[in-house]
Amino acid sequence: MTRRLSRRTILRGAGGAAIALPALEAMSPRRANAATGPVKRFVVMFSANGTIPSAWTPTAGTSETDFTLSPILAPLEAHKADLVVVGGLEQKGGGGDGHQNGMSGMLTGQLLNSGPFAGVGAAPAGWPMGPSVDQRIAEGLAVPTQRRSLELGVQVGPADNWGRMIYRAANQPLPPDDDPANVYAGVFSDLHTDPAVLARLRKRRKSILDGVGTQFTRLSGRLGSADRQRLDAHLTAVREVESRLTTDLVVSNPSCHDPAASPVSATANDAFPAAGALQMDLLTMALACDITRVASLQWSRSVSQTRFTWLNITAGHHDLSHRPDTEPDAVSNLTKINTWYAQQFAGLITRLKNTPDGAGGTLFDNTLLLWCNELAKGNTHSRQDAPYVLAGSAGGALRTGRYLSYEGQGLPHNNLLVSILNAMGLPDTKFGKPEWCTGPLTGLL
Amino acid sequence: MSRRRSALTAIALPALLAGACGGGGTTQETFPLCADDPGPAPLRRMTHFEYGRTLSDLTGVAVSVADGLPPDEETLGFDDIADAYSVSSLHAAAYLDAAELAAATLVADRARLTAIAGCDPTAGDADCVGHFIAAFGLKAWRRPLDADELQSMQQIYSDTSDPTPTDGLAGVVAAALQSPQFIYRPEPATAGATAATPLEPYALATRLSLLLTGAAPDDGLLAAAASGGLDTESGLLAETDRLLTGPRAAELFVHVAQQWWEVGGVATLDKDRNLYRTWTDGTPAALAEETRLFLNDAWQGTPNMKTLLTAPVTFVDADLAAFYGLPAPADAGFQRVDLDPTRAAGLLTQGSFLAEHAKADQTSPVLRGKFVRAKLFCHAPPPPPPDIVVRPPTVDPRLSTRERFAQHTADDRCATCHLQMDPIGFAFEHYDAAGRWRDVDGGKPVDATGDLTGTDVDGALDGVPSLAARLAESDEVASCTATQWFRYAFGRAEQTPGDLCTVGKLAAAFKGTNGSGDFRKMVRATVRMSAFRNRPPESSP
Repeated sequence: MTRRLSRRTILRGAGGAAIALPALEAMSPRRANAATGPVKRFVVMFSANGTIPSAWTPTAGTSETDFTLSPILAPLEAHKADLVVVGGLEQKGGGGDGHQNGMSGMLTGQLLNSGPFAGVGAAPAGWPMGPSVDQRIAEGLAVPTQRRSLELGVQVGPADNWGRMIYRAANQPLPPDDDPANVYAGVFSDLHTDPAVLARLRKRRKSILDGVGTQFTRLSGRLGSADRQRLDAHLTAVREVESRLTTDLVVSNPSCHDPAASPVSATANDAFPAAGALQMDLLTMALACDITRVASLQWSRSVSQTRFTWLNITAGHHDLSHRPDTEPDAVSNLTKINTWYAQQFAGLITRLKNTPDGAGGTLFDNTLLLWCNELAKGNTHSRQDAPYVLAGSAGGALRTGRYLSYEGQGLPHNNLLVSILNAMGLPDTKFGKPEWCTGPLTGLL
Repeated sequence: MSRRRSALTAIALPALLAGACGGGGTTQETFPLCADDPGPAPLRRMTHFEYGRTLSDLTGVAVSVADGLPPDEETLGFDDIADAYSVSSLHAAAYLDAAELAAATLVADRARLTAIAGCDPTAGDADCVGHFIAAFGLKAWRRPLDADELQSMQQIYSDTSDPTPTDGLAGVVAAALQSPQFIYRPEPATAGATAATPLEPYALATRLSLLLTGAAPDDGLLAAAASGGLDTESGLLAETDRLLTGPRAAELFVHVAQQWWEVGGVATLDKDRNLYRTWTDGTPAALAEETRLFLNDAWQGTPNMKTLLTAPVTFVDADLAAFYGLPAPADAGFQRVDLDPTRAAGLLTQGSFLAEHAKADQTSPVLRGKFVRAKLFCHAPPPPPPDIVVRPPTVDPRLSTRERFAQHTADDRCATCHLQMDPIGFAFEHYDAAGRWRDVDGGKPVDATGDLTGTDVDGALDGVPSLAARLAESDEVASCTATQWFRYAFGRAEQTPGDLCTVGKLAAAFKGTNGSGDFRKMVRATVRMSAFRNRPPESSP
């Protein structure tokens, strides 16, 4: 069922009113869909500062499908049959301090270049040496959606390698937008702009950006190589914005509508849950409208000092994460925090399951979700036995309802990233730093 | 413990005698004798601070237009370090939105358009539109546009002047503001040069204006660049002095000092309000305003280390006075008030600084000591041993902070590093995590004794004023201040021998002779540096 987006639809979605207005003339015929199989989507969720391994690790039974969820993962019980809990991998990384290595290596499987960000007990580090796995997916799927990928966050803080996990390429962090109002205004603007106005605006912006692009090219030619690289990256970004102007948003899913944007603070500590909930709504709708098929949600950042006052925890998360295992209060609070994040991950899954994809199933059916953390354990900065939870089958590519422990095998998380690429239909045999990666994770797909 | 002295101290001290490259004259500083060759000059981007102010000057849009951009990368404590920048489509989209908003603001103001063009361009008269393009281009790109660039802007005007000429003007403005010529600070290099060459006048004007005012050159400065007014040191200094006396320079000083003192984040700080009941929703903004007013006052008066570190004055309104337990000022609004000099010492006892360098629920002698060590002495603390589980002490109401932190020095592995930080931080113990005075901590009288070691002003401490007095006398602190300023001014870390020479000269201006130097003199000295007025040869084509 393919349906042109009309002004009428937009208004009905937004508030129920139906006012007859001209149909969207800018909407062009539907672009070719991937003729080979279902539309696949990939979503990453991040939470910070490690977990409490003893409260995270499921209890294994007689087989990989026979397991009991741990206290932290208990909120995912309703989705247990759709999960693959992956334990026992080492999250590789290096070049900076523990949090930097974890944050920037988590999805890239790469070392950090040397650079300007001085961590604790390590040489100053820059950005990682390669792209993150979601960006490889965006590249590999070559999907002509309006957005190549969508990076959302919740109170992600300063711009540095403790706070960036998504990389377009080596040295090119993609900052998450942590203000739902911005996301609404930017990502969904085509849904709430009058079609005639939109058409004129696009033509106009195209003219302007053409001129701007010329200026970039002209200046770039006169610069030294390091400066030129920087400017060329900027030009690529301008071109990406430009391509959004020529990619029509074609809605084939009746679930797609202009989402409501209720005002919520993007910075107040206690608004953290509300801002996150809104971002998950917006992320779900961006998938439903096929604005993008690759998305991420970054809760805070590595070394997060979020204060979980809504759980009656007043200490900063990172401070708490450094308390020793012998302090029952700290362990209990950290367990509560990680359990809360499991609830959020469950909430994201539920949103996708509750949203029809327009082709008879739900958004969840063809989506693969990954929940990850920059550390395994906060008080040691260890990245051994890093906690990964996959959800969804990516259209049947992944057998779910399993707990897989790779403990003691010395395997790098790069292998998990390769398997994720394979689940998404890409033939890659390596990902990240080649010396670390030994191929796909045996037994996952 | 080894004494960590920076290399530049060795350069700076004997050289105070020399003055060979000082330019002479009784009003000029004497500089150390060394070559302040320009180091690397990476392409710089306007920071949020600069972008908002500049866009506002150009178009009348609110300065807050910059809030829509992704945050600036911050490293070395500053927002303008060129090596840290990154760019993404989120940036490009935000630049587009900001440019369109600024363009719409400008074209809605016909008087402003007319003032720029010297005629009313909204009627679409071709000559007048041409005047507007050239005049706005000059302001936005901080140099005249060449023929190709004018032609390109004319094309954008033609393509976008639908349905009205005003739309075309907005198109020109939006394009000029998304251009790398506006967003970045390109400086033409002399082709084929193998040694440093003087900056061409417009690039020099841009450096000068952004350095002194945090905004692009005004019309007067652009005119000086055009007429050769910046080609001589006296001409350059005349413009420098004009800009230094304006309100923009004071704002720039506040902006830099806030970053150096790590108080820029206070506006979004929060505390455990069960423990700190006087901390309200309004407290962070009030603490930020207090520091802003104090720094502005220092700049207008004597912006030297003695003022910043020891002045027993501050600014409070009735609410903030109540927060601190001070009497309310007689008049409404923020007022300058004198404080007890046995307790108060400049920025070191302001709530913004104290609360930022503390946890949500307890003070942190480590953070406070580390600030003094790293940002005032420029000493880099050695890293913690890798086998240590870093654990802040649990708040136990029966123990004082000092007792809880005793473990740092009881354990030999921790002691090496923490002996450099904690004994300085203990001197702040009369100030709680919210920044208010206290006499009791953990049920015991506060013990604010400490120890300053490994510096040029070592000695026993008891309370912040005793620390402040030593810091204000320290050559090392003065040199470190010059280092911090160098990093901001040049947008990078000091690296080359030429850089260390520049830092030494800046430090000399900051110290002056017999305490005659100050921040203002150091800023003024910056523009006399060879590193400021010249560019290195391009390292690669």
